[in-house]
Amino acid sequence: MSIEITALSKSFGDFPAVNNVNLKVETGEMVAFLGPSGSGKTTLLRIIAGLEFADSGNIFFSGEDVSEKSANERKAGFVFQSYALFNHMTIFENIAFGLRVVPRNKRLSKQEIRECVLSLLDTIQLSGLENRFPVQLSGGQRQRVAFARALAVKPRVLLLDEPFGALDAKVRRELRAWLSEFHNKTQLTSLFVTHDQEEAFEVANRVVIIHNGTIQQIGYPDEVRSKPANSFIHDFLALDI
Amino acid sequence: MASFIDLHHPPGSDRRADRMVRSTSEPLWLRRLLIGIVLAFFVLFLALPLIVIFQGALEKGFGYFLHNFTDHDILHSMLVTLIVALITVPANALFGIAAAWAITRFRFRGRQLLLALIDLPLWVSPVIGGLVYVLLYGRRGYFGPWLQAHDIRIIFAMPGIVLATTFVTFPFVARSLIPLMQAQGCEEEEAALTLGASGFEILRRITLPKIRWGFFYGLILCNARAMGEFGAVSVVSAKISGKTNTMPLEIERLYNDYLFASAFTVAAALSLLSLITLLLKTIAEWQNTRQLEAGRRALLESSIDTIPSKANA
Ligand SMILES: Nc1ncnc2c1ncn2[C@@H]1O[C@H](COP(=O)(O)OP(=O)(O)OP(=O)(O)O)[C@@H](O)[C@H]1O
Ligand SMILES: [Mg+2]
Repeated sequence: MSIEITALSKSFGDFPAVNNVNLKVETGEMVAFLGPSGSGKTTLLRIIAGLEFADSGNIFFSGEDVSEKSANERKAGFVFQSYALFNHMTIFENIAFGLRVVPRNKRLSKQEIRECVLSLLDTIQLSGLENRFPVQLSGGQRQRVAFARALAVKPRVLLLDEPFGALDAKVRRELRAWLSEFHNKTQLTSLFVTHDQEEAFEVANRVVIIHNGTIQQIGYPDEVRSKPANSFIHDFLALDI
Repeated sequence: MASFIDLHHPPGSDRRADRMVRSTSEPLWLRRLLIGIVLAFFVLFLALPLIVIFQGALEKGFGYFLHNFTDHDILHSMLVTLIVALITVPANALFGIAAAWAITRFRFRGRQLLLALIDLPLWVSPVIGGLVYVLLYGRRGYFGPWLQAHDIRIIFAMPGIVLATTFVTFPFVARSLIPLMQAQGCEEEEAALTLGASGFEILRRITLPKIRWGFFYGLILCNARAMGEFGAVSVVSAKISGKTNTMPLEIERLYNDYLFASAFTVAAALSLLSLITLLLKTIAEWQNTRQLEAGRRALLESSIDTIPSKANA
């Protein structure tokens, strides 16, 4: 599914968090939002998911204007930075949640839900842990459960807010490779937020540099690295290298 | 997540905390004195009255005590109290959840005002609460003529008692939920939303399970007050024994009629209900901590066994 964003703006009080953003993401792309803390990345992602509403501008999913639709109608798979797992439910129930809240006439049977959840558990390499509760998992395991939960409803787009932000370097690298591989296999349109440029350049097809709520540059990783569009990007990229 | 961090303290750290309490505490004699005063207060103002109530009830023997429960008026007052509680508690449960939800999940104009208004019954005398309904729905009240024209009786009848009781009890559920829901935030609800859940499904599957003990606690408080309310109800009830008397009103009636043993009997029944409420509350709290503890223990075990290393495989 393609995503198109036109002239999107959002202020909190009189503070412009997202300022006139235009962006087109093609079907199957993996795009990274890269920018310093407070630049508006999360806000932009939340607006796309329907968790926040823009003051002006439009969002199109495959050409359809979804700007006024609520998050539960848009059904964008969203992975929160802090996972937001349902702590009172087992891992199994967490992943099954999206399948259970479907209206009865469209809902899968109990057996089908079970098969679906177990196969997802297999995908994220956590088979056998379905009866645990989220507090009984490590950070990396929780992160993957959050993935599986979002994937269970077969979203047309995956939105990831700093998916590996809270993990240590080793787990981070492993999950990054896993995500890349997953994306290559499924070709699910994905947007992910990060302030780690190595992560952005390694995983994404294209990188969007955001600063002060505005897009500074959109380009392929090589392009952005070799030809930063302005001095902010130049300095920002130089910080880590 | 504070509990999460606690887990990483070594098991011996409790003892250190203990020692700290001891080293910062007062000398022994002072501690004994303070505890003594508290105990004396407890006995004088709580335990003794309770004993006196039951003693008074049994004054004319156990047979007479039981005989009271065959009295039509007394039984009727119990029925009235039960009906009032059965209506006001569910009504306040709905209102409390709706109010807590609105106040913690949305930013709207008048939010602070609503928050203050929820507390109104706590800082206004219950008698005033009752009077307001008389002024609104009484014969000479604001809606009086219209109600009379349609032959609807609110004041001096059941509806008035229910309204007045609802007024005095409505802060309890909302008040016990708001801090809880504020602390928990709404990320889980947002996650449920992106998974396609409707508002009702989110309430049923996410919000309610997360707040159930606080909710239960609020319900218990609300119920205790609904059964025990005197002031507001005495204004709007016609106080006709066997018709519009609740248990507290019936106690007053019996007492004023010099039927002390009967008055104490109803009082004992009401106290017994309160004690049961207290017991339920304690069990609720105990269950809550037990569940928390179980979660912690499970977490501790899982950090010992091999699962985390499997995650990195
Ligand atoms: N609900 C809110 N109310 C007021 N201001 C907000 C709100 N949410 C975000 N902001 C402000 O909007 C700006 C952008 O926030 P946002 O969370 O989108 O940044 P971010 O790029 O995701 O930062 P980080 O990398 O630290 O997560 C920040 O200055 C933040 O203070
Ligand atoms: Mg953010």
